[in-house]
Amino acid sequence: MNGGPALVSILRQGSNLIASVHTALDDSQLVRFEHDLVEQIGEHRSQGVIIDVAALDVIDSFAALTLRRIAEMARLSGARTVIVGIPPDVAFTMARLGMGTAEVPTALDLEEGLRLLAEHATGSHPTHSPSGAEPDW
Amino acid sequence: MVRRIVHARVGAHPSADDLVQETLTRVLAASATIEPGMLEPYAIVTARNVVASMWRDADRKRRNQHRVLDLSTPDAPETQIVQGEEQSAMATALARLSERERRTLLDHEVAGTDTRTLAEREGSSAGAVAAQLNRTRARLRVEYLLALEQVQPPTERCRPVLIALSSGDQRRQREVHAAQHLLECDPCARLSRPLLERGQQRDDTLRIPVTGDPDIVAARVAARELAARLRFGTSDLTLIATAVSEVCRNIVRFAGSGEVVVELLETPRRGIRVVARDGGPGIPDVERALDDGFSTYGGLGLGLPGARRLMDEFAIVSEAGHGTTVTMTKWERTNDG
Amino acid sequence: MDDRLEERPDLTASAADLALQHPADGEHLLSQLVAHLREHRTRLRHEWAERIQQAHLLTAMTPQEVSAETTSVYDNYVEVLETGSVEALQHYARDLSERIIPRGVETHEVVGIVLLLRDVLARSLFEKYQRDFALLNEVLDAYEPAANRIANTVAVSFVDERERVIRQQQDAIRELSTPVLPVRERLLILPIIGVLDSERARQLTEQLLTGIRRHRARVVVIDITGSPDVDESVANHLVQTVDASRLMGASVIITGLSPKIAQTLVTIGVDLGKMNTIGDLQGGLEEAERLLGYTVTRKGGSTSS
Repeated sequence: MNGGPALVSILRQGSNLIASVHTALDDSQLVRFEHDLVEQIGEHRSQGVIIDVAALDVIDSFAALTLRRIAEMARLSGARTVIVGIPPDVAFTMARLGMGTAEVPTALDLEEGLRLLAEHATGSHPTHSPSGAEPDW
Repeated sequence: MVRRIVHARVGAHPSADDLVQETLTRVLAASATIEPGMLEPYAIVTARNVVASMWRDADRKRRNQHRVLDLSTPDAPETQIVQGEEQSAMATALARLSERERRTLLDHEVAGTDTRTLAEREGSSAGAVAAQLNRTRARLRVEYLLALEQVQPPTERCRPVLIALSSGDQRRQREVHAAQHLLECDPCARLSRPLLERGQQRDDTLRIPVTGDPDIVAARVAARELAARLRFGTSDLTLIATAVSEVCRNIVRFAGSGEVVVELLETPRRGIRVVARDGGPGIPDVERALDDGFSTYGGLGLGLPGARRLMDEFAIVSEAGHGTTVTMTKWERTNDG
Repeated sequence: MDDRLEERPDLTASAADLALQHPADGEHLLSQLVAHLREHRTRLRHEWAERIQQAHLLTAMTPQEVSAETTSVYDNYVEVLETGSVEALQHYARDLSERIIPRGVETHEVVGIVLLLRDVLARSLFEKYQRDFALLNEVLDAYEPAANRIANTVAVSFVDERERVIRQQQDAIRELSTPVLPVRERLLILPIIGVLDSERARQLTEQLLTGIRRHRARVVVIDITGSPDVDESVANHLVQTVDASRLMGASVIITGLSPKIAQTLVTIGVDLGKMNTIGDLQGGLEEAERLLGYTVTRKGGSTSS
């Protein structure tokens, strides 16, 4: 990222990219994040992407849309995205907002996210996708 | 958030701390002229602007330029001297806080760390941290005034009285017999004036100007903090912050600018009311805007209907050419909490 | 014994009075009866307390407590005989029950003491009217139905109160206990028992979501066998709970969905095909184990896709 390490960090781990959001992001920062992450996914030909959103104070409709767009773009580049770290109160709010049936796979935290990607990579046990179904994109 | 940027951009600590200080100075200097209820959002916005002016990104700088100009006074020689005095008074005041108070306040006001994160760090609750922050702010205002006026409080009772006045806590004011003390103590009578003027403004109302993306975050953070003073649980605080985020986005997207007023209610029950107002083009078909999935900018179309689902009460008034007002309320739960 | 001696003259005097007044009138008989019982209150109460002690009733209570309660019961008893209205007695009996149920007083004890009082009073009437058999019969005819009604009222009030207390305790236990049960690693069960209102549904959701994080759950089984029906707002809440759990990375299996609740879900526009629903808890647990990979791994065999 050319915006410095402050808001978000993106690390490479093997064939995966791990993006951690460190703080609340406003809309333009989310757009920049989306841009940077998608760029790096293409650059590194990543197979898996984990986005850790535990530090986001709020995932409102725009943040959710951004996460979905990232996952969609990643899929077009051949990468699978897992969102990790949604806290209970944020999860509840998202469900109330009507964003609960998100097609993007989610996992409790980084460790679980990596496990999910590894299972997917070996083709084992795909039923873990949290929506109980493989996303169709 | 801003502190991170400060550190990232400027690197060295002294420089970052200078910026932090400059921010607080500006906020406090402006506090005489701005509506006191807006002090906190100003702190956030100012912090961002002070830092924004250092950014190398020319575009971003240009975009934020007007705000820096709005807030900073003209650079006439005498103003610079005044600013210098204010800055040193601010530094003295900050130095008189305990290390913990100072760290929490700066992390919160300037770095934008929310109370929940601070609470986790301190092993306490978000509400307790918010209350502690209020006490620290009250103390900082008093210490700032004392330093600026170069007054040494003549009695032991002066500081508690001034702090009680500064916090607007009327129960505490009665406990320390504030009114009686002001009759007896000249320096306190003089110092209390700016504090009382501040106190007249309601402490339970926040007015946040919304003119761009950063204000969406500022507004939701401020609303969460205000709501944390009531017995809202974490889930409710997040619901409120998210609803505020959605209505602010609508202001930015459709009207360009507007304001959000967040107010604590006592009657008929304790609760929080959010009024988001703009003078934009208005929403031609309010019913449709409240339908799930109706979006005019390629969003999820969950903004308004979503906000409605998150709050207990929701009303929207829109007039073509005259703007839109969204009023929404969340009540404190009556039983447990 | 002392007050018995003291009261002797009174006893004879009132017996004489009684004989002079309208002996055939049931109402008058009762009012004279009441006067008699009021007059000899101390002695009769004392006798009654002795009989209670002999019968080993109310042993969980101190003598002072027994004395205080028997005084009240006695007065209420006489009042019912006088007014014919059991309302005040019902109220008192509920109050009494509320006080003594936590002490472990049993139903048979309460019924026992009331029957003892009936006998003590009947015996005193016997004593009083023994010389006039016809009058005695009339007195007992008036007294017995009233006395039985009183015994019945007290017993029923006690049992009602006991049931209410038990219900209350069950509610309290339900409130207290965390309903989220970690069955095995990464697997939580949320049994929903009883009537769900919005407030309770909200609490369950919060407990489940924090439970998912605490136990690092991958699969959650929500068993609603114990909840016969829910309204639309609670059904909505259930759906949101499923969605929120998924957002935290846990798969949700719903078991024990009654046709009625299923219908409510469809009514509010829930696509049941997107919910992982299994008939009973056992089947749900098997599915959960399968999802957790404890049994044969299937490929692409999600039940809900």
